[in-house]
Amino acid sequence: MKDKRIVLFPAFRKVVPADLENWLEHMAVEGWHIDRVRQWNSLWMTFKKGEPRKYRFVCDMQFAARKDYRATYEQFGWQYLGRMASMYVWRMEYQGQRPEAFTDRDSVVDRNRRTILAVSVSFTLFLMMIIFYAVQIICFPDSLSAGDRTQVIAVEALFSVFVILLGIVMLYIWKNRRR
Amino acid sequence: MSLEKARNRYIPMSETMFYILLSLREARHGYAIMQHVKDLTDGRVVLGAGTVYSSLGKLEGDGLIETVSEEDRRKIYMITSVGSAILREEAARIAELYKNSGGLL
Repeated sequence: MKDKRIVLFPAFRKVVPADLENWLEHMAVEGWHIDRVRQWNSLWMTFKKGEPRKYRFVCDMQFAARKDYRATYEQFGWQYLGRMASMYVWRMEYQGQRPEAFTDRDSVVDRNRRTILAVSVSFTLFLMMIIFYAVQIICFPDSLSAGDRTQVIAVEALFSVFVILLGIVMLYIWKNRRR
Repeated sequence: MSLEKARNRYIPMSETMFYILLSLREARHGYAIMQHVKDLTDGRVVLGAGTVYSSLGKLEGDGLIETVSEEDRRKIYMITSVGSAILREEAARIAELYKNSGGLL
């Protein structure tokens, strides 16, 4: 029997934090566990087979966590698993009532807004590159050979796809900002 | 933040913010705030870690509360004079609501 399972692009498949949390919880109920979260885990996650457990996961985007961030969560009984980029991942084992880290509407919406902000950084970066190359093609067409131009246009097309996808992701999180 | 600006931002305020400010008339850290509010409301309002952390950040950033000490990475907060003024105004608003809704129950 397999005792390891690798899932590709988990953070890109589940872009709404609540969905990512529920999915991790579902995996744990089936006995698939991730005990450490690291930078590259947004690209792939390795789960190990173990006993089924009931964990509540929390994914919290924090760009500049204050000194007391971890201590506050830990005091409330959350276990720190690590972070991928600025997304901190916590879990707590439970029976009965499911624990929550965000207990009012404002802080749930804020959490999702921070997630959108993180996506918007990549969105802006790609958009700026598109504009930069577009200016080069339009204003200085002679500076590029025909071959170069084809390459630049291909890159433009690829980045445009990224920008559209990231835009859709941001809209989708915004629509789901209340959960 | 000036009282005028704080008023615009915080009144009317959420139940979470109200109870956090109310708790911080005494110096407390995040977890103690949660316990205090839970006791006050007979277990109805149980604040989560993320909500407490982000609310404290906002309130401190706007000068309604301040850090008074730190013990092993835990910050102890307390209400400021601006915070107290805002809390009193909000309490007066809630008292008026209470008075005007008397006939409903």
